[in-house]
Amino acid sequence: MTSAGPDESIWHYDGTSASRRHPRIDWTADGFSLTLESGVTGSHRWSDLVPLSGTGGRSVYGLRDVPGWRLGFAGAPPLDFAAHLPLVARYGRMIDRIGLWRAVALFGAVAAAVVFVILRAPEWVAPYIPQSWEDSLGDAMVGDFGGRLCETPASRAAIDKLQRQLGQDVPIRQIGIANIPIVNAVALPGGHILIFDKLIEQARSPDELAGVLAHEIGHVRHRDTLTGLVRQLGLSVVLGGFNGQVGGTVNGLLAMSYSRSAESAADRYSIEALKRANISPLPTAAFFDQLSRLSGGEKIEESMSWMASHPVSSARKAAFEHSAIKDHRYTPSLSPAEWQAIVTACTDDKHVKPADQFF
Amino acid sequence: MSDDGQRAFGFSGTWKDYAPIAFTNLLLTIVTLGFYRFWGTTRTRQYLWSHTRFIDEPLEWTGTGLELFIGFLLVLLLLGAPYLFLVFGMQALIFQGHGVLAVTLALLSGFMIFYLSGVALFRMLRYRLSRTYWHGIRGGSNDKGWGYGWSYVWRNIVGSAALGLLIPWAMVSLWNDRWNKMSFGPHPFNAIALPGDVFRRFLLFYLFPIIIIVLSLVMGMIGAAFVAAGGAVPRPGEAQGVGFVLFIIMMAVAIYGALGAIALAYYSKFFRVVVGGMSLSTLQFEFDARAKDWFKLILGDIGLVIVTLGVGLIFLNYRHWKFFVTHLDATGEISLSELTQSTTAAPGQGEGLADAFDLGAI
Repeated sequence: MTSAGPDESIWHYDGTSASRRHPRIDWTADGFSLTLESGVTGSHRWSDLVPLSGTGGRSVYGLRDVPGWRLGFAGAPPLDFAAHLPLVARYGRMIDRIGLWRAVALFGAVAAAVVFVILRAPEWVAPYIPQSWEDSLGDAMVGDFGGRLCETPASRAAIDKLQRQLGQDVPIRQIGIANIPIVNAVALPGGHILIFDKLIEQARSPDELAGVLAHEIGHVRHRDTLTGLVRQLGLSVVLGGFNGQVGGTVNGLLAMSYSRSAESAADRYSIEALKRANISPLPTAAFFDQLSRLSGGEKIEESMSWMASHPVSSARKAAFEHSAIKDHRYTPSLSPAEWQAIVTACTDDKHVKPADQFF
Repeated sequence: MSDDGQRAFGFSGTWKDYAPIAFTNLLLTIVTLGFYRFWGTTRTRQYLWSHTRFIDEPLEWTGTGLELFIGFLLVLLLLGAPYLFLVFGMQALIFQGHGVLAVTLALLSGFMIFYLSGVALFRMLRYRLSRTYWHGIRGGSNDKGWGYGWSYVWRNIVGSAALGLLIPWAMVSLWNDRWNKMSFGPHPFNAIALPGDVFRRFLLFYLFPIIIIVLSLVMGMIGAAFVAAGGAVPRPGEAQGVGFVLFIIMMAVAIYGALGAIALAYYSKFFRVVVGGMSLSTLQFEFDARAKDWFKLILGDIGLVIVTLGVGLIFLNYRHWKFFVTHLDATGEISLSELTQSTTAAPGQGEGLADAFDLGAI
């Protein structure tokens, strides 16, 4: 048996009272006991002793299952006492075991792999999600759009004609004109496409609409919206580790920067579809020109392009212009009467809810 | 305790000592996609607590990273599912034209978040006290904070009514409410600060609109002078544009600066009053940082973050804790033999809820 103390440099709290005591410690290979004025406590097993970390130069130990029990030494404990003790945790048990730098390399590699998978997986997973699931999700989201879809028999026929020309083999389940004053069109899960009324108002010809519609059909064909949903879900789970703000910003940036490649693919589909249908791509190019003026000019757009989810309008414009064949005789996508039916769909449809009552 | 010339609280840490902890925490947090921060927080607190002396002994932080992590996971389950429903369900509801229902749901969830922030504030304090040991004794509370959440809701609502005139009352009474349910060892905390003591300082906020009117007049005149003096500028339209942009920027800086200064002046008074109203058994607490000390702290924070291009952010915890401890004092005697172990139930997991709402500070 070996002993140390009692002296001022060894102290003890029993966890029931705040009084500081100076015990004599006696120990053997199996365990140790403390001798106080009030009597002897122990013997305690070495394995129950828990070294406390971050104690500022002192060595302090706790006892398993006795909160507040402390045995402290002013500096390091006596050598043959310390020989029985486990090491103090520093970065956390797992990291201490393999070393800081190896842990950093390991975690870094795992993190990179996780981020890569999360960014890529939606593309791998989305095709395996049954179309019927996507359809019910899309139907639940869109429904009848709160009675704001404009339709007359003539506009229906015109839209159908566009769909036949641009998306023959694409599983489109609905193309609706929504009575909402936004210059935009969206593809939603389940093969739904919504064209907002204001976009039709801004378009100067049916061929402009055809280009935009074909772009959205491209999204439906590639199941982009579903991929986007899966990605957002995955990112929000993985980036949950950071605090809300950092996670949210990174999430938004990644989700956006990624959808840019999907946007370009949809543009390529649009150009192909127009070509197949013998519709001129030039009106669509002009439409992007008009859009780029609306969004504050090329310079501003270029500087923001990495933040925006759509490719820069001027680049898109060039791509459409480039695909036009010189002196080729294109056919218009719709007759003037059919185009008129679409333009006036929202004023002709007497059952549609007015745009200003969105809520 | 102040009678022998030494203050009851002292801080002995140095930023050079703390730097290795701060930098390894940052590194590990990045490579683990943020998940290390629970363990990092624990290391930071172990350092800060162990370098904080109260009378004759340093404090001890016994919380663990795992506890904080479990708290985080629980909150993810509790709030994550409703959140996902809100984000996706709300879109669907609006698309389908159930706008009123969507807005109602949004308001309801906003209210829940409001209530839970109150609960979170309470539970954060309770968790921290239950993991803080001194002389082998810890603090805590037997209250779980669900009732405090309601108190937080109605007092804040009443407080912001009447042009916000009752905000000081809400803040002070909530502080007292919270601390009166806490204890250390066998002794309950006693918090009896009066809202009247901070009210005059709060009235500064009502001077703010007047300050702004005066400021905008001055700025407007400077702007006009700038335009008038702009002979070198080729086109008058452009000069006006530049003057206007300058005016807007200067106004924004002035407004934020003035508002921040008033808030700081009020908060410094608030903190002195509420801490000064606290006692534990025969110990009476005191906090002596004045508005000028808070200004120095915040300006120092801003300077540090700017000069280090943001890296200084990882030292803010350290600075704030040091500020808090060096300005905190206590007088009176505490009997060690009467200070026995707390019998309060210690919470099993960390401050996930507060973490989720980003409630920080002390």
